[in-house]
Amino acid sequence: MNKIKKLDFDLFEELLKDIQKPGRYINNEVGARSKSMEPVSNFCNLVSMALVFPDIYEVGMSNLGLQILYDIVNKHRDFTLERVFSPWIDFEKRLRERNVKIFSLENRIFLDCFDLIGFTVQHELLYTNILNILDLGGININSRRRRDKFPLVCAGGPAVVNPQPLSRFMDFFVVGDGEEVTMSILERVKIYKDNNKDKEWFLKEISKLSGIYIPGFYKFHYFPDGSIKNIKPDRKVRKAIVKDLNKFGVVKDPVIPNIKTVHDRFIVEIMRGCGRGCRFCQAGIIYRPVRTREVESLIRQSAAGIKNTGYHEISFLSLSSSDYSKIERLLEGINSSFKPGRLSISLPSMRLDSFNLNLIDLIGGGRKTGLTFAPEAGSQRMRDIINKNIKENEMLDCIKMAFSKGWERIKLYFMIGLPFEKNEDIRQIVELIEKVIMAAKGEISKKKLSRLKINISINAFCPKPFTPFQWTSQDNAASLDSKFNYILKNVPRRYVNISWGDSRRSIIEGALARGNELVGEVIEGAWKSGARFDNWTDFFNFHIWEKEFKKAGLDINFFTTRSFADDEILPWDVIDIGVSKKFLLKEYDKSRKYIRDQDKI
Amino acid sequence: MEIKYSHGYSPKPKINFSPPTPLGVVSLAEYADVLLDGGVEENEFKKMVNLKLKPQIQITEAKKIIIKADNLMNDIAISLYCFKLCASSSGENLLKEFYMDIDEKLRVKSDFSRSIFDLKIKQDKEISEIILLKLFGYAKIFKEENNEFFKFNNFYKFLENWLKKYKINIKGVEKEELFAVRGNALKTPIEVILVKQ
Repeated sequence: MNKIKKLDFDLFEELLKDIQKPGRYINNEVGARSKSMEPVSNFCNLVSMALVFPDIYEVGMSNLGLQILYDIVNKHRDFTLERVFSPWIDFEKRLRERNVKIFSLENRIFLDCFDLIGFTVQHELLYTNILNILDLGGININSRRRRDKFPLVCAGGPAVVNPQPLSRFMDFFVVGDGEEVTMSILERVKIYKDNNKDKEWFLKEISKLSGIYIPGFYKFHYFPDGSIKNIKPDRKVRKAIVKDLNKFGVVKDPVIPNIKTVHDRFIVEIMRGCGRGCRFCQAGIIYRPVRTREVESLIRQSAAGIKNTGYHEISFLSLSSSDYSKIERLLEGINSSFKPGRLSISLPSMRLDSFNLNLIDLIGGGRKTGLTFAPEAGSQRMRDIINKNIKENEMLDCIKMAFSKGWERIKLYFMIGLPFEKNEDIRQIVELIEKVIMAAKGEISKKKLSRLKINISINAFCPKPFTPFQWTSQDNAASLDSKFNYILKNVPRRYVNISWGDSRRSIIEGALARGNELVGEVIEGAWKSGARFDNWTDFFNFHIWEKEFKKAGLDINFFTTRSFADDEILPWDVIDIGVSKKFLLKEYDKSRKYIRDQDKI
Repeated sequence: MEIKYSHGYSPKPKINFSPPTPLGVVSLAEYADVLLDGGVEENEFKKMVNLKLKPQIQITEAKKIIIKADNLMNDIAISLYCFKLCASSSGENLLKEFYMDIDEKLRVKSDFSRSIFDLKIKQDKEISEIILLKLFGYAKIFKEENNEFFKFNNFYKFLENWLKKYKINIKGVEKEELFAVRGNALKTPIEVILVKQ
């Protein structure tokens, strides 16, 4: 970074006039920390990184990963990290009208003045936002055309475990846990910067680290039908793993947003990885192995964090909280650190059975919010196929118990379009919902019956890389819609609310998730045609995507409804996620025979 | 230092804030009352909280309320805004007209007349081109008096437009003070407390 340019404060004030929720852009939250730009010469000696969350502030600030990296990097003497989020439509328009480049929150530094720009990508429908932010920063979206030494552009997060769709836009990718590898990267950026090395040197140097994939170092060759013939060199990038979570403390002084965010509470990760092995679940594979935090230090740090931030709510995060072996001690320990009724605790991804229900009852302090179950499928056959260990009678028993204790609301998650799905499986979703209503009604007094609310969320299954279902064909939109309509028509509506994700959106999500490097052209085209915030119903436009796939000479079905061959080279085969292809294939075979695995925990 | 909490279904800290300041307005008058669990000296309180607050927002004064005031923040009736007006491009005649019209046309006859409690105008001491328009707007609705809530953003747009014919621009605006009505007088929250004790 030779010259740092920043947005003038008066102009900033002027830009924010009549903009929705200016709190998204103004920084200065409690916990926000940045290195001072006085004197500028000292600041210029730091390695500066922009951490970009390509979604709006409210979503980004609810992300624990962002808070973790913010904390770790900013603690380092030689590095500084500032936040950038997607501007909302009105602010983007203002920036473009006034010809002002996008800037970081902390020191309002223009994006192109950073040494390193890192995108954290949570899902595939954010890809267009990434291009939009680069463009708003005055940066060429195409990595080959970025000849300058800085800024370096990289991406990490769960939606880049298959880096291919974004490969033409990034100098490198980070796959796996970010805590350690980010610091190693920044150390090398410092050498690169201080010693004026060339970009080739830098990329070679970081390619020695685990978790770094450099698209420029690989070449893909294709068969005429579009499938991959070979990848050169035949060398996999092993994902970065933090062996011991306890090495990094809980973020006790996170940035506390001034405006309401999606999750506005103190968040603590208790466990990373999940041993349940649901065959559709990407997180269950890519975050392996299961690692836990030590319970006593967790209690101490959580209590300190709560006191520090003033939050009244704490969320113990993991992919399956009830599998944390010391969960009882954790809850008891944190509860006893505060006055009764002062702290509310939430446990997302809790497996519900009668034992855990008692636990929830305990921590709720008598508060009965909604209960959530994720049976995912209606029939036991289908739950065996996807390896989801929930039994119908257990679930119904738990619901009965919950309603007899005073709960009035339940949420149920289902997926449709799962592999080997038959009409019978869809019919059984309706049946299961009916059974849940019956179970609830049996336990609830007539007076309270009007308050009974069952929320059903139905999502289309979308095969994801590194899951046993990565080879399977995705259901087409027409079939998904007809399955959903069947459910909608047949479920008793009196106590039930049903929500449904757009089937066409999940088709695009699938095409991007399993896409190869050629799909990058489609993303670029869609962005140029105005696609952004594709995860928002109001903005998603299927026709743009359809048109762009055609324009690029690609068939969407090749990536979605097609079954990938068992021995096919997959676009994400360059990555070694830590779980072998052989294991995934074995699991896929079991699902074909409806065999459920015993739980590994 | 511990805050008292409300009892019941979902306990909330016992703290009340003065009416919110419109977006983009500098405020010199933000008040809050808070009920503490256990005593603490005023200065100690100020010091402790300021350590946790951002340098941009600091407590300037803390006063102990000994006699229970029933929700002082709810009592705030009037907000005083100071508009800095820049009249550099208007001629003397226009300016005279402005001074004449301000009472008649703005305060008495405009759409906002019912939400304006009082209006004062004076010259800035330092820069002669700046006119200070001190506007006392109703911060609350008083049903019995049929007064209206002072809607700042609407007024701002209206005033900006209204000033155009005198070639006057708004240079800035600050929220200067808040008042409660006591008897026939306006009192700042601190004055209310001091009288009580």
